[in-house]
Amino acid sequence: MSPDVDVSRHLDGEVLRALIDMVGDDPEFVGELVDTFIADSPAQLAAIRSAIAAGSPEELVRPAHTLKGNSVNLGAPALAAICRDLEAQARAGSLDGAADRLTAAEAEYRDVVEALGVARQRRWRIE
Amino acid sequence: MSDPAPNAAPTMPGRVLVADDSAVNRMVLGRLLAGLGHDVVEASDGTQALEILGGAGDRIDIVLLDLVMPGKDGFEVLATMKADAALATLPVIVISDLDDLDSIVRCVEMGATDFLPRPIKPTLLRARVDASLADKRLRDQVHSLLSMVERQRTELARFLSPQVAALVSSSDGEQLLAGHRRAITAVFCDLRGFTSFTETAEPEELLGVLREYHGAMGRRIVEHEGTLEHFAGDGMFVFFNDPVVQDDHMLRGVRMAVAMRDDMAGLTAAWRKRGYELGFGVGIAVGHATLGRIGFEGRHDYGALGNVVVLASRLSSQALPGQILLSQRAFATVEEAVIAEPVEGLVLKGMSHPVTAWNVTALTEESAVA
Repeated sequence: MSPDVDVSRHLDGEVLRALIDMVGDDPEFVGELVDTFIADSPAQLAAIRSAIAAGSPEELVRPAHTLKGNSVNLGAPALAAICRDLEAQARAGSLDGAADRLTAAEAEYRDVVEALGVARQRRWRIE
Repeated sequence: MSDPAPNAAPTMPGRVLVADDSAVNRMVLGRLLAGLGHDVVEASDGTQALEILGGAGDRIDIVLLDLVMPGKDGFEVLATMKADAALATLPVIVISDLDDLDSIVRCVEMGATDFLPRPIKPTLLRARVDASLADKRLRDQVHSLLSMVERQRTELARFLSPQVAALVSSSDGEQLLAGHRRAITAVFCDLRGFTSFTETAEPEELLGVLREYHGAMGRRIVEHEGTLEHFAGDGMFVFFNDPVVQDDHMLRGVRMAVAMRDDMAGLTAAWRKRGYELGFGVGIAVGHATLGRIGFEGRHDYGALGNVVVLASRLSSQALPGQILLSQRAFATVEEAVIAEPVEGLVLKGMSHPVTAWNVTALTEESAVA
C-alpha cells in the first residue's frame, strides 16, 4: 500500500460525509458498505474484461453501469467517470478504446481502494 | 400542537421489495427504509424479484426497481408485473440515473408509479415511498369495499326471494312495492308433529331436520318460481302470480305442492327410522290479496295480505299428514288437472260455517308433465 496516496484525488469527502449523515452517523455501516464494494467490484471489472474479450458491447453495459453506480454512491467520482464512458460507448455499440479505459479503471480502482483504507482510519471524515 | 416538521409526518410502515444487482445499493436502501420503519425484502436480479413477488406477491406493498440487472432486467420485471393481474396494481418506483431520462420515460409509459434518481436522497425516497404506499392503501381499501358490496349482494340474494330481489331493482319496482291488488295462489305448508318434536329433540337433531326440510322445499320453490313470503320454523308461505305475473299460477302452486309431498315422503320415512314422527300438510287457496312492502323503517318484507292468505293457512293447519287441501275455488280452477277427493265439513278457525276442501291425491297424466 502506498502510504502517500492522494485521498482527495480519488474520493469525494462531501459524498462520504453525506453518506454518513444519510445512514445516521454510523461509520461502521459505511465500513460495511465499503467492504461490500471491495468484495464485489473485482467481479464487475472481470465482467468488463470478458465483455471486451468477447467483443460484446451488450455484455459490457451492466457491469460498467453497476460499478459506476457504486462509485457514485461511495464518492469515487474519477472511477465513476471512467465507468460512465465505458457504459455510454457500450450502449452505443462501440468497444473502441474500451480496453484502455478498462486499464485506467483498474488503476483508478486500486487507488480508490487505498484511499478508502486511509479514509476508514479517519472514520470517513477526510476533509 | 401541530407537527413542527411537516415532512416528518409519520410513515405508514410497509413491506418493500428492493430489486437491485448492486449489493451496495441494496444495503443503502435497506438501511434507509428500515430507518423509516419499513420491512425490506431484497432481490439481486429480476428473476429473483419475480420469484419473491410470485410467492409472496400479496404481502409486498411496493417495489423499488433498479433497471440494469443481469438476467431479467428492470424493464422485464415491470412488463411481467403489468401482465399479471395479481401484480399489475402494485406500485413500482424505478431507480435510475438522472442522465438516463429515456429509461425513466419508458418505465412510466410501461406503468411505473414513480422514479427515484440516483444517488438516492433520503427525503425523496421517503416522500415517494410514502405517496405510493398511501396510494396502495387507498386502492386496497376500495378493493375490499367492493368485495364487501359484492359479498353483501350475494348474501342478500340468499335472503330474498329471487323475484323480490329482481323487483327491488326493476323500473316499476317502487310502484309494486308501494302496494297493489292482484289475484294470487297462496300455498301454506308445515309439518305435523313438529311442535312436540321441538320439545323433545336435541338442538342438533332439530336443526338437522329443518335443514333437510328447508333444502328440499327450497329447491321446489325455486323450480316452480314461487315467491317465498316467509318461513318460520316448519311453516312456509309461498305465493304465485306476484310480483312476476304467471298465467298458470294456480297450476304451478299445485304442481309444487305435489312435488313437495313426493319429496317429503322420502324424508319423513327417513326421519321415522330415526324416531321422528313428522307429517307434511299443505293448504292452497286462490283469490285477491294486497301485496307490497310490509314492515317498518329499517326492516321490510315483501308480503301478501287478505282472506286468501288466511284461508290457505287455515287449510294447511287442518291438512292431515300427506294431504294437499285446496279451497273450493282453487279446486274449481284446476279441476281438469288434478285427481282430488272432497273433504267435507271442515271447521276452520274464524269461519262461521263448515267448508268443503279438496284433497289432491295426484296430478292427471297430462298435467304431471310440466
